[in-house]
Amino acid sequence: MRKVMLVLLIALLIMPSVFAAGQKGTAATGAKTVTVFGAFVDEEQRRFEEAIKPFEERTGIKVVYEGSKDFETLISVRVEGGNPPDIAGLPQPGLMMNFASQGKLVPMWASLEATIDKNYAPVWKDLGSYEGTPFGVFHRVNAKSFVWYPKKAWARAGYEVPTTWGELVALMDKMVANGHTPWAVGIESGGATGWVGTDWIEDIMLRTAGPEVYDKWVANEIPFNAPEVKEAFEFLGDIWLNPKYVYGGRNTILTTSFGDAQRPMFDNPPKAWMHRQGNFITGFFPDAVQANLEEEVGVFPLPSINPEFGIPVLGGGDQFVVFNDRPEVRQFMEFLATWESGESWAKAGGALFPYLNQDLSAYPNEIERSLAEALVNAKVFRFDASDLMPAQVGAGSFWTGIVDWVNGKPLATMLNDVQRSWPK
Amino acid sequence: MTRVKSKKSNWSLVVNLILLVLVIVWSIPIIGLFISSIRPQDNVLSTGWWTIFGEHSELSLDNYRQVLGGSQYTFVDSAGNTVRASGDNLSRAFINSFTVTIPSVIIPILIASAAAFGFAWMIFPGRKFFFTTVVALLVVPLQIALIPILRDYQSLGLTGSYLGIWLAHTGFGLPLGIYLLYNYISTIPRDVFESAFLDGARPMVVFNRLVLPLSVPAIASLAIFQFLWVWNDLLVALVFLGGTSDVAVLTQRLANMVGSRGQDWHLLTAGAFVAMIVPLAVFFGLQRYFVQGLMAGSVKG
Repeated sequence: MRKVMLVLLIALLIMPSVFAAGQKGTAATGAKTVTVFGAFVDEEQRRFEEAIKPFEERTGIKVVYEGSKDFETLISVRVEGGNPPDIAGLPQPGLMMNFASQGKLVPMWASLEATIDKNYAPVWKDLGSYEGTPFGVFHRVNAKSFVWYPKKAWARAGYEVPTTWGELVALMDKMVANGHTPWAVGIESGGATGWVGTDWIEDIMLRTAGPEVYDKWVANEIPFNAPEVKEAFEFLGDIWLNPKYVYGGRNTILTTSFGDAQRPMFDNPPKAWMHRQGNFITGFFPDAVQANLEEEVGVFPLPSINPEFGIPVLGGGDQFVVFNDRPEVRQFMEFLATWESGESWAKAGGALFPYLNQDLSAYPNEIERSLAEALVNAKVFRFDASDLMPAQVGAGSFWTGIVDWVNGKPLATMLNDVQRSWPK
Repeated sequence: MTRVKSKKSNWSLVVNLILLVLVIVWSIPIIGLFISSIRPQDNVLSTGWWTIFGEHSELSLDNYRQVLGGSQYTFVDSAGNTVRASGDNLSRAFINSFTVTIPSVIIPILIASAAAFGFAWMIFPGRKFFFTTVVALLVVPLQIALIPILRDYQSLGLTGSYLGIWLAHTGFGLPLGIYLLYNYISTIPRDVFESAFLDGARPMVVFNRLVLPLSVPAIASLAIFQFLWVWNDLLVALVFLGGTSDVAVLTQRLANMVGSRGQDWHLLTAGAFVAMIVPLAVFFGLQRYFVQGLMAGSVKG
């Protein structure tokens, strides 16, 4: 025992010096390094790394990306602990505003701002700004206002894509008359259960009340229990709370994971015929469907309700912000603001980009091309409201409110409760 | 007499039945997890694991292949070709985990055993006070220490180094280690020490020749605790070591394996069993000490 301990002790004493030597070795090569910390991992990380290779090859600057599923917690700990990454990809504008108000972020410099003005619609710059100062650069974004359907089964049943809300309701009734269940809905998502419902409400709010009311709602300038919000919930309730319209009824809505919810569409015959979800849902489709996406799946934007507001697009995305101001960090940020940084990722699929000057032919299939087109051409684009609201509501009572409501809590009570939870 | 006996066997039957039910209840999730891990992805996502006994009896080692060999990525390279490649396999993460874990187990054991000996058998001013302080630290959650320590590490240049995380785990593990070993070492009969001191042994000799060999059961059980804790740790490693692929430990790789939106959670089933291998080996290797060690100090001798 003692000898073993002694050997291990000696090994211990040697090991740090070995590692220290190794670290010095890498520093000595003199390659400039930019560290990037973000919330996406695995395959998306690989695609990001591939997409920024042109930059590394051109400049010789090494970009080290670190992704973590616990990003939101870790970034705060690291910033507080004095160990921030050079650049971080923040999924929520609220997080950016927090860091910006604490003075932790480097504001955008003139040349980057000029690139942003040229390459993005103004809404993206606004979303990356705190009190008028721009901080964040959007790269990959997502859009959520889409309805997916099994194309072949629709063709056999003779269903057609609705262009207005009236047509959508008529289609749903036609499906019910044929013995079909129109919607596949699932909102289970662990601790975040409910966000699928908030997306639906936001989409409907944009269509019934319009973007201006939506902005007031996000800022709590109209209360959460305002008639406009109530109306949106009533639209949703007409679909969700009607067991004929949703596969499995209320219980299935609550207990099905958001990612698995689309599965009934691809049973033969389909157990459900439509699914509303963001562009990322294609990654959850069965492999056989993914391999043949264009032939198997159709997609249309959630139809307009009040024609005055057209077809607004709801979405979100990671914004990259700078913590450490160095020339190579600036160079990389300016690269991220150009279409070149997204092109290879767009080709690989599963990602949309907001650049005005992007080449739509880069997207691998007609579906993603049409989504990107809808995103770039949208007259009204709004960021996911639950990501903009204070966390107590946007990542709290709004989510649980949806769950309670589906569970049978009266609408008025639920809305009052959410309003009460709004931080003063 | 026979009545008493039959009463007794009735009773033990009841106890056994209750135990059987408990064992089944506790095992079912693990069995389900294991069965899920050997089913094809589409079946895992669309049906429950119990359907393996009925309509969906297909088996597949694909989950294990992806976990061990790295998941398959498709991406488009700079020349515009679509490439399908395997990600890193787990060997790097295993090495990183061992690099973090082994010193993080040995250092606290060395320090804790010496400290426990001191607290138990050496007389110095403030002994009670210091020991109480150490025991009081048991209730301090390590999470509140993360940011201050990170700041200190930042100024010392220890963030992202293995030395840093060894020290962190050592610090977080010491209170329990000292407490556990103190309870054991203080039960070693006084006579053992008295005869040694009479023979002129100095404290260091007593510690090396007597205390360490006699405390092997307690040290082994502490080693199991500390090993499992460090091996399963995700938070401390993420904060002090970071998650870039050259230092990422096994838990980080497992956590990231499910993908940004959890779309690949079926891989976790196989990943859980792969990650389990090492702790199980350690546990069974040291198990014979474990029960002894758990009883450490429970009966004052």
